Order: sequence, then C-alpha cells, then structure tokens
Amino acid sequence: MSNTVSELRAPAHPWPSLVPKSGMILFMLFLLVLLFMLDIALGSVSIPLKSVVAILFGSDQEPVAWEKIVTTIRLPKAITAVIAGAALSVSGLQMQTLFRNPLAGPSVLGISAGASLGVAVVMLASGGAANAFAIRQLGLGGSWLVVLAASLGAMAILLVVLAVAVRIKDNVVLLVVGIMVGNITISVISVWQYFSAPEQIQDYLIWTFGSLGGVFGSQLAVLSVVVGVGLLISFAASKPLNVMLLGESYARSLGMGTFSIRLFVILATSLLAGSVTGFCGPIGFIGIAVPHMARSILNTSDHRFLLPSATLMGAILMLVCDVIAQMPGAQTTLPINAVTALVGSPVVIWVIVRQRNLKSSFA
Amino acid sequence: MNDSMIQTRNLAIGYRLRRREFIARRKPSHPASKVVAGGLDLDLAPGELVCLLGPNGSGKSTLMRTLAGVQQPLSGSVLLKGCEMAGLHPKETAKLLSLVLTDRVMTGNMSVYALVALGRYPYTGWMGKLSDADEEVVRRAIETTGTRAFAHRHIGELSDGERQKVMIARAIAQDTPVILLDEPTAHLDLPNRLEIIKLLKTLAKEQGKAVVLSTHELDLALQAADRIWLMNPSGGSSSAMVAAIPESLVLDGHLEHAFKRNGFEFDPFSGSFRFSREGVRQIGLVGEGITAYWTQRALERAGCMVIPGASDIRHIEIETLNGEHKWKYVSGEGCRPVEKESLDELLSLVNESQNEGKER
Repeated sequence: MSNTVSELRAPAHPWPSLVPKSGMILFMLFLLVLLFMLDIALGSVSIPLKSVVAILFGSDQEPVAWEKIVTTIRLPKAITAVIAGAALSVSGLQMQTLFRNPLAGPSVLGISAGASLGVAVVMLASGGAANAFAIRQLGLGGSWLVVLAASLGAMAILLVVLAVAVRIKDNVVLLVVGIMVGNITISVISVWQYFSAPEQIQDYLIWTFGSLGGVFGSQLAVLSVVVGVGLLISFAASKPLNVMLLGESYARSLGMGTFSIRLFVILATSLLAGSVTGFCGPIGFIGIAVPHMARSILNTSDHRFLLPSATLMGAILMLVCDVIAQMPGAQTTLPINAVTALVGSPVVIWVIVRQRNLKSSFA
Repeated sequence: MNDSMIQTRNLAIGYRLRRREFIARRKPSHPASKVVAGGLDLDLAPGELVCLLGPNGSGKSTLMRTLAGVQQPLSGSVLLKGCEMAGLHPKETAKLLSLVLTDRVMTGNMSVYALVALGRYPYTGWMGKLSDADEEVVRRAIETTGTRAFAHRHIGELSDGERQKVMIARAIAQDTPVILLDEPTAHLDLPNRLEIIKLLKTLAKEQGKAVVLSTHELDLALQAADRIWLMNPSGGSSSAMVAAIPESLVLDGHLEHAFKRNGFEFDPFSGSFRFSREGVRQIGLVGEGITAYWTQRALERAGCMVIPGASDIRHIEIETLNGEHKWKYVSGEGCRPVEKESLDELLSLVNESQNEGKER
C-alpha cells in the first residue's frame, strides 16, 4: 500500500528539462505575422487589414493606389524591418556571449561605428555621387559595394576590440576600449566630413538618421542573402556559443577550437550588423535590448533556443518601432533611430528591474 | 609501457617572453623564456589522488595549465594515456582529461543541469543534442556529487561550495579518466572543503579516476592524498619537483624546506606550521586532558615554550574540582602560587610577567 503511494508521488526533485516552453515560439510567430500586416496597413494612408491580406495574396480587386503603396513602398519596408531586427538582435546576442558582457552590442562596441566608417569611405570618396540617394543609384554593384564596405569596417573594428580582448580579460575595460575605438572611428569620420563638400555630407547625415525605407528590389535581395548567410553561420555556431559561456579555458578543455569559433562569430556578426547598418544606417538599441528580452522570457542560456527567439523578437520589436515611426494618420515619419531608442530603453529597464536578470546573466 | 594516465618526460614549464625576443636578438644573453620549473618526470596512475603543493609563485598553476594542454610546454613532453599530448586532437584530449578551474563561471540563466550537460560537449553532434545515454551520464554525475536538490537552480544563485560541486559534476559528466582541479577548495569553509576532498577521493577509489588537485591546504593534502607533488623553489628562479607519499615528504624534511619562512616553523608531529618561538621563555605545565591541551595552545600563542610536566621552573598547575578548573601560576621555585579562575585571566597574568621580564 505504502509502496504504491510513494510510486504515485512525483519525486521530490524532478529532473529539469533542457528545452524551454515551446509555446512561446508559436506565440511569437503569430505576433510577427500580425505586426507585419499592421506595419503594412498603418501609415499616412491607412489601408484596412482585409485589403492588405488580399493585395499580398495577389488580388487585383483592391484600389490601384493601395496596391501601389503596399507593393512598392510598404512591403519592402516591412521586409527590411524584419531582416534588420533579426540581424541586429542575433549579432547583439553573439556579441554578449563572445565578450561575456551584458552591455555588448553592435552599437556599443564600435561595430556600427566601423560600418559607418566603411559607408563614409564609399560615400565621401565617390566624389561624383552628389545627389540625395546617390548610393542607391549606383545600382546592384553599388549596393554590394556599400555592404562590403560596411561589413569590412565592422569587421576591422571588431578585430581591434577582439585583439584587446585577448590581452585584457576584464569585461569593463574591454567595454570602455570598445567605446573608445568607436569614438576614434566617429572622429575620423567627422574630420573627413569637415573636408568634404556639403552635398556629400548631406548624403551621409541622412544615412546616419537610419531608415528602413529605400531598400528595394535587388538591394533587398542583396540584404536578405547576406543576412541569411550571417544567420546560418550564427545558428550553426549555437553549440560552441553555449560552451563559450563557460569562458575560454573551459571551452578549450572541452575540445572547442576557440580561435576558429571566434572568427566565425565575428564573421557572422560583421555580416549581420555590417550589412544592415550599410543599408539602413546605424540603428541602435535593438541589438542590446532583444537578447536580454529573449533570455528573460525563455529563462534559458541555451543558444539553440535563444538564437531563433532573438531572431523572432528582434523582427517583432523592429516592426513595432516602424509602426510608431510612421505615426499612423500623420504625414511625416520619424527617424527610426530615435524610435528604437525610445522604445528600446524602457523595455531594457523594465526587463532588468523586473527580473534582476542582467546581474545574474553575467557575473 | 605502463598504464599511467599522465606521464611527463623531462618537462620544462614556463612562459615564452614574446616581447623580449625582439630584445634578445640584440642581446644574445637575454633569455627568451622564463622557466618556472624544469626536469619534471611525473607519473599519474589510475585511481590515484594526487595533491599538488607548493608555495605561491612556485608554478602550480603553470603546471596545471601545461598538463591540461591549455599552455604549451617549453620543452619535454606530456604523455596522456601513452599518447603524445601535442599530437592529440583537442576533441580527443577532451575525452581523456577534464578540468575544474578557479575561473568564476558567469552565465546567463544557466541552470545547474544545463551546465553539467555542457560536459557532454565532446560527445554530442553539431547541434549539441543530448541522447538518452548522454542524459543518463549527466544525471549520474549530478547524483554522485549530491547536487540533485538544486539541479534546477541557476548558477548565480548557488553558494561557493555548491558551485564547486556543480563544476566537479560537469567534469564527471565529461567522463574522462583524468580530472585536474585548480584549487578546488579555495574560498570554502571547512565542512565544504572536507566534503569536496571526500568526493574526489571517492571518485578516485570507486571509479578509478586519476585526480590531480592543486591546493594550499597542507593538512588536508597530508590526510587525503595518495601522493603529493611538491613544487620546491630550489634557490634559483625555477622550481624542482618532489613526488612522494605524504608521510615520507614530512620525514625527509621536504615540506619544511619548501614552505620555510622566517617566523614560522614546521611541526612534524602535527604536520602543520606554527609561529616560531625564538627567544621566548620556557614555562612548565602540570595537568592533563583537554584542559591541558588548550592551556598549552593558549600559552604558545602568548609566545611561551611549553614544557609539559616541568614543575621545577616557572610553571602552571591545573586543578580540577567537581568539573571546575583552576589554574595556579608559580613564577619560580619557592614562589607563592597565584590562583586564577579562568584561562582568560591566566593568560593576561602570563603576558604581564612576560613583559616585566623584557623590561628587566
């Protein structure tokens, strides 16, 4: 009798599961689709959701103006928002793991600054390009050029920061170094601007405000391919990234080739953050905020689950920011960079204060 | 060929001085590397618990890092289960040798279970999915170390002792015949220290693992180790190594030599160090049992050299009546004894007379 009772009773400490709540991922997918539609529907001209769905599924019953707006402006912008949000979040997550620092992210460690330098080199050095969207008129070759320059710039800065990281184990010192390297890069750009023609500076300044619009056709294809490759490399590195959390010595003792993994992660991050920064300008805060959101919502440190959910959450948050930026009903749009900070900062503060997770996340 | 787990042949450990090489080209006399210890011929058998002892700066950590393959040896070789370590793929090394380091693991939201599961890294596929057999190994490791009760908790919420046990569980989950631990008992209180050592001893005895741990706990090492590797700073800049069972290290005076400093002396009876008592006055102690032992300790702390049973010099007699203790202080032959009710009062009396003696 007592035997059966004790058998029926669950053990005092059941074995924990390594897999977090999977319902979360489905919910996020649903949210993503919903916000994607909303982002297309809302703006200076509001289009009913039903019509948006109809247009997206190829119906020609809707007004031509709406169809034009959706297919040529809002759809590419929404896709860009999804790509940019996913790419920045995943690169931020990888940075935080690689540097084992909760404040690491593409905009803090000077990666965005490096990408800016790359873009500045292309924009300010190509003397002939004087009109507002000169780079976009360079066509496919030009867009590759911008992506390449931005990625190379990002990678160069990341390598400098990493070279310091090899010598200095202190995360705070490393962070300060990263910020300083970023500052140096920005000041180099400033000096360059000072000696450039006003028209060229204008191009560059507009670029720094950040914009999700203006990535069309072949450029969108380029961006998707580059980000896709970056995401694939990141997902493939999720097992080594988990071990990275233990620190370099443990990682090596577990048979991981830390040097090649670091290189792969840097490559992926440069591709992700570099290409997005190249096309959309330096977009702050998504890269820092989303990884923390993913960690506290999923309550795990396993990158096999963190990476996909950061991808989804980044896309969702970026769409939210874009909906706010285009101010439904108004004729103007806000610079996306301002909105991400406005939306991102409170989210980070809320998550940290509520969960007290930042401290327990990293030391 | 023998069945030793780790074997070193004429191993020299230390650091290459990268920046100095540049200077060395101009000044040929300048050394390009700093040898921390040389000529090491070590042997580690399965089922053996070895404690690596040595004063600070003698190269314990360097040796640990070299044995673990994290650092390259300056010369000589490390054989891991008969294979040259330099020729092994890191993945193969990871299946032979696991590490427990002093690095604080800083992990975001990582549960104890997930951390121990990372020990299976060398065995899992590219996505790191654990098979049922892997999970079984992880669970056994957690049960062996007695960490099951907090397997679901986050690493950040653990005490130092609990965290150390978890790190050992991770090493066990890695399922290697050799485990190296760098100061596993640092920062722990005595019960936790004993528990860790007991756990390691069980691992060595019951699972036949070869365990090497570096430590500063001399008495613990003397009690628990099957063999001690003693890093002995031998005059110059590099250390020499003595490997022997604990008892013969004490008898041969190696321990005393390695840790000798001014102001300390090694007591071969207790196997521990105490403040040396130079130029102190002798004092006799008449009495027995626990009271006498702790009275002696108190007197020694006050700087006296205690001679048990001597009543013909300055001495103390302990009287016990109905479980109450009284201390009689006799400052010399024929002097009137001074009676004290507590050890506290006795000690201040002894200190007073000691100071008088100095002034005179």
